Amino acid sequence: MNEHGSPSTPATVGTPALTGLSATEIDRSCRAPLLVLFVSAALWLLVGSVFALIASIHFHSPGFLADIAWLSYGRLQPAGTECLLYGFCIQSALGIGLWLFARLGRARLAQSLLAATGALFWNLGTALGLGGILAGDRTGFVCLDMPGYAAPLLLAGYLLIALSSALTFHHRTERSLFVSQWFLLAALFWFPWIYSTAQLFLVTWPVRGVAQAMIGWWFANNLQTVYLGLAGLAFVFYFLPKLTGNDLHSRYLALLTFWMLLLFSSWGGISQSAPTPAWMPTLSTAATVLNLVPLLAVGLSAYQTTRPGSSPRAPSLPLRFVLFGVVAFLVAGLMQVLGVLPRVCEITDLTWFGAARCQLHLFGFFAMTALGAIYYIVPRLLEIESPSSGLVRAHFWLAACGITLVVVPEALAGIAEGLKLQDPNHEFVEVMRGTLHFLRVSTLGLLFIAGGQALFLGNLAAQTFRFSRSRAATTYAEVTADLFKIVEVKP
Amino acid sequence: MNYGPLIFLSAFFALAGSWFGFVITPQVQIGRLQPTNTLGNPLTYPLARPGLAHQGLEVYRANGCADCHSQQVRQTGVLLEVALADAGTNKPAVVAALVKFKSGLSEADAQRVLAELPKTLLRGIQRQEADAALKLLSTAGAKAALSIVPQGPDLARGWGRRRTVAEDFLYDNPVLLGAQRIGPDLANAGSRRPDLNWELCHLYAPSSEVKGSAMPACRFLFEKRPTEPGLAPEALVFPGGMDPAPGYQILPRPEAMALAAYLLSLRADAPLFEAPLLSSAAATNAPAAPAATTNTPSAHPAKSS
Amino acid sequence: MTPERAQSLPLSAEAAEPRCSEAAVPVWLVVLLLLLAFGGMVYFDQRGGWFNPQVYAPYVSVVELQSFQPPTGGINLERGKQVYESICALCHNPDGAGKPNQAPPFAGSEWVLGNPNRIIRIPLSGLNGPVKVKDVEWNLSMPAMGAALSDDDLAAVLSYMRSSWGNKAAQITPAQVKAVRAEIGNHTQMWTAEQLNAVQ
Repeated sequence: MNEHGSPSTPATVGTPALTGLSATEIDRSCRAPLLVLFVSAALWLLVGSVFALIASIHFHSPGFLADIAWLSYGRLQPAGTECLLYGFCIQSALGIGLWLFARLGRARLAQSLLAATGALFWNLGTALGLGGILAGDRTGFVCLDMPGYAAPLLLAGYLLIALSSALTFHHRTERSLFVSQWFLLAALFWFPWIYSTAQLFLVTWPVRGVAQAMIGWWFANNLQTVYLGLAGLAFVFYFLPKLTGNDLHSRYLALLTFWMLLLFSSWGGISQSAPTPAWMPTLSTAATVLNLVPLLAVGLSAYQTTRPGSSPRAPSLPLRFVLFGVVAFLVAGLMQVLGVLPRVCEITDLTWFGAARCQLHLFGFFAMTALGAIYYIVPRLLEIESPSSGLVRAHFWLAACGITLVVVPEALAGIAEGLKLQDPNHEFVEVMRGTLHFLRVSTLGLLFIAGGQALFLGNLAAQTFRFSRSRAATTYAEVTADLFKIVEVKP
Repeated sequence: MNYGPLIFLSAFFALAGSWFGFVITPQVQIGRLQPTNTLGNPLTYPLARPGLAHQGLEVYRANGCADCHSQQVRQTGVLLEVALADAGTNKPAVVAALVKFKSGLSEADAQRVLAELPKTLLRGIQRQEADAALKLLSTAGAKAALSIVPQGPDLARGWGRRRTVAEDFLYDNPVLLGAQRIGPDLANAGSRRPDLNWELCHLYAPSSEVKGSAMPACRFLFEKRPTEPGLAPEALVFPGGMDPAPGYQILPRPEAMALAAYLLSLRADAPLFEAPLLSSAAATNAPAAPAATTNTPSAHPAKSS
Repeated sequence: MTPERAQSLPLSAEAAEPRCSEAAVPVWLVVLLLLLAFGGMVYFDQRGGWFNPQVYAPYVSVVELQSFQPPTGGINLERGKQVYESICALCHNPDGAGKPNQAPPFAGSEWVLGNPNRIIRIPLSGLNGPVKVKDVEWNLSMPAMGAALSDDDLAAVLSYMRSSWGNKAAQITPAQVKAVRAEIGNHTQMWTAEQLNAVQ
């Protein structure tokens, strides 16, 4: 039910609570790796949004920090994106995935120390990669900018966490699978495959010519739309029924979404203007338009799950984050489908429209969903009371307003820019200056987002602190109890 | 859908499709391309970039120029044109030929056409029609020529003469096509403006060369020294009144020189089989249309950079 | 454990893990899927170039691409025929058989079929003195009938001669004519057979 409601009706249906493991025990087993993953994810999220903010100031004041190489736009902007992707998105996907495997399989997290080590490796790799980008070693490929020397660390960290997930899944006591587990299983193996392919063919033994660009686009699409889509939808399909108390509507819609995502979404992402033979962008367009089906399936599912028995009061805060994420997923998906249609892509290609869609998908959909999940999980993980709703509410509104302020002006700027560029009589500089008005609003949105991130980090830190303080208090009480006993016994 | 390995395997094969289609197949088709001949020219294309320009590509990559600049020229169509340059000695035969292939043209109009040479006679026609017209005209002794003119907003803007194709990037590593045009497209930057000083001044202070530019200045690629004891030969020469640092001379570092060399080496306008292009000088008298009929290279002034 | 109360909210009692309903997929969604799949296939058929690595948008097939290739600079034999009939046929006959005591034949002539540099020189400056054509001696005088022709026209007429009346020899290009013109400069005297035979 919701946070303020009375205890739910006894779990009679669906969950064989007979196997004995309570939710608390499962959560306790996940504590170490999840804490590492979530706290570091929150940190990277903040760092990334600060980078993105400073980078966007470069547009409004070209002389800003122009003498320092590592603070230039071309280094800060990819640093911000990589922080968001590798620092926050994938880490939280892994963390929430671990928790879901444990909870849905009704088993303790297997090899949690291994998973925690993996998380440390991942963070080391991310830090190394970010340093490399700022030093000028970026690879140049969007979403794969971290230099090659960071890749082994990242891959090792991922594999350790994946091992832990797979073992947890294997040792599950609840044998029938919930929808989310399919999505998470597929996501689990897809990331190492796309990542190692991209690293090998682009960085280690680069292929020749435009084949590099193809693989780069394939990787970016598969990371954002397929991997994060699979993970994000896994969370959506879990938390929507969980937080509303209704059944997920429906198993078959989820099945359709799963297969459509795997079969067609992975073919998307090839730029229509690319200097490649015509069959590549054409196949990509045909596959992307078919994405409309899983979009509608998810929308239908979400609507039908949240509708029945909806109480007149506002949804709980984690649920708000997840609902925002679902709406953002639908809008971003629609933008992607529209953006590949032949007449539309002539206007919106290579403009701010694509950047807006990407940010909406990454931050509006995935990050918001993950944040909602983290807000739900962490108090249960630490067995403390939920944090004060004031801060969480402030974070939600800052994040929601922020992402809207970022995406809407950028999308409009992209469309305006594209339309004007169709006419060669419009000077390019004029067209570009016209977009600056929109970008100012976007920069403001980035400021809001960064502010929300700071609140999130603060919240998480406060909870962890409270937890460790209460733990310390307990330990102190135990130790001193013995001491008093000794003192008392002595005559 | 309750059996883990089954889901894993089916997901594996479903996702593997795209790996096969967009990683392996492009490598087979494009990754093994060899340099080819440009049409009508025994030159092999592309030529590998000279050493400094190749280093410039590394600077381009490290500083994220591809975040704002694309190198993908688009093309939305192509037109065939037949233009008459010279009527030769047998004017009546030429008039007769004109009347034959250009429907609706009277003899008097044809005579008028002959007085206004060179002139584009046909535009946007099929190949057979063009060939037939050319044959009639050359049989009558006139000098006529065929033009193949790619069309598109990018081309009309002067960003290229034809679309970019895979051959253009054969020797580049990494291939940085860019995803956004916050700045103009650079695929033909070298043929559009082969001016080293302009590139360097633009890198140091973009608004000195392009009024109103929002490009971040890359001052870290340069060194600033006072003008005494004397001006170095490689000091930048800014356009009048736009000197961003009066009293100082700006000297390019090796990275700036490499980057400028790379930018000057960027050209993608050689005619190829997959991107045909043919312009004949005879078409210069064509009526001005919103889409320029001939994007003659470097000679034409940079319209909008 | 001493949980803090203050402004925090009570931890909810754990709800059961979610379940799925078994509702069916709506038919319209399946219909939409099939329609989009069909549309996608049609789109690929029209614009995909059928996996050909040489076909780039906006071209849709290799056939279309070939129709936009530049011409390979072919000689216009029609023009050659016109020029021949207006200038050469008066003496050499329209069927290339020549006229006895007037002009040697072209059909099967080793001069026409042989080294281009020799046959190009003859109309440019004329021919004088004894010359053997198809084992027949001729001793007449031919003026420089081709001196006033352009490179294109001369190339066209020579190519026409070399591919008509049973003759089969490679075409002569305007570039070759231009080169010969440059070589001979302002040579105005008529050629003799010995001089021509000495040309490589």
